[in-house]
Amino acid sequence: MKKSSSNTRSQKKRKKLFKAVKRFVLTPVLVCALMYAVIIAVGYPMMSDAVSIGSMLFQNNAPSFSREYENIFTPSDNTGDKVDASEVVYPSINKQFGKISIESADIDAKLFFGDGSVPLRNGVGVYAGSFIPGYGRTILATGHNNTYLNGLKKVKKGDIIQIRTSYGNYEYKIVKIAVKKADDKTAYDLSAKKENLILYTCYPFDELGLTEYRCFVYADKVSGPEIVGIYE
Amino acid sequence: MKKLLTLFLAAFFAVTFSTHAFAAGINSAEQSVLANMRTPANMNGTSVYVPDSYINQAEARFNTIDMTEAQASEINSNISAGRAFIEGTGKSSIKELSTEEKQTLLSYASAAAAVLDLVTPAGVNGDRVKIVTKDGTVVMDETENVIKVTGSADITPTVIAVSVIAFLLTVSAGVLIILKKRRICYEEIEQ
Repeated sequence: MKKSSSNTRSQKKRKKLFKAVKRFVLTPVLVCALMYAVIIAVGYPMMSDAVSIGSMLFQNNAPSFSREYENIFTPSDNTGDKVDASEVVYPSINKQFGKISIESADIDAKLFFGDGSVPLRNGVGVYAGSFIPGYGRTILATGHNNTYLNGLKKVKKGDIIQIRTSYGNYEYKIVKIAVKKADDKTAYDLSAKKENLILYTCYPFDELGLTEYRCFVYADKVSGPEIVGIYE
Repeated sequence: MKKLLTLFLAAFFAVTFSTHAFAAGINSAEQSVLANMRTPANMNGTSVYVPDSYINQAEARFNTIDMTEAQASEINSNISAGRAFIEGTGKSSIKELSTEEKQTLLSYASAAAAVLDLVTPAGVNGDRVKIVTKDGTVVMDETENVIKVTGSADITPTVIAVSVIAFLLTVSAGVLIILKKRRICYEEIEQ
């Protein structure tokens, strides 16, 4: 009789313990996790600006104004036919040297030389094995499909791509849009002697990670100053 | 006196902290190097060319410097020596070269780069070629793939956060199920 009553007591104790664990550990953890999930999914895009302002106001250390890239772009109003090479500062890798925009596709991004992680994190990058606008050769530029070049899905033949640099402003007309494999070497010609712009991003546009295909947008130069006197 | 001091300091800082910005242009010395780079190597009857992307990157670099004739001469002798070396191996392509032969070829490339105070920090690592200035500024970072992976941008923190939350939810749900099961067992015993 005594034994059974002590059993019942210990069972009651265990039940109380389980209830306590459920009430004070599991429920708070679950609620906390759910709240964080909601905050990240819904609130982060809205909060990021407030967080950066807050961190600037309340930081412990002296603020650092160094940036991960250098900007040599100062807007120019030159839409003429020619610009002398002596007036052009050729950008080195990871430097912002212009801006690129496609009005019809809501694309407006900084333009960098080089297509490594720094340029692609901050805008659109021109492959260093291609050339800058006005050089009369191929310009091969790229950007991430979930950020700066997501709008490529809206472009169509005939749309105008604008590039602004410190030495002149350029316009290119889209002549072809094609989806090709990433390792298709016929997708570009780096030895072309005619100025042409190739813009590409991962395809499908809303897929992240290692996609097999790229969407290539080909455009021909319409206007903008040709750099003359390069070969002295 | 104060104005004079201000002027002096302004001039001093302008000279000290200014960065060199060369106008675009390829002089005759640089043109001779580019022409030499475009000359194919005859490997066992097959013409082997330096890829266009490499030559274009050299041209981009030359647009930011002013090479002297003496520098060009030294670079050209290294390029020619490298070409003569691979032609003498008797192989038909760069891929057929042994690791030792590739290292020798790299030493010619490194010697050419060194003329312009450039270094190849990790050598040729697989298909990657990296050239930097002495202060670490990247001049060339080339992989075999001209077309890059552009399917994501800085999603790593989000992925980590979501993974942690998913893990917490799974563990909590597991513990909850175990507790519920035990509770049912106890209730059965009590009855």
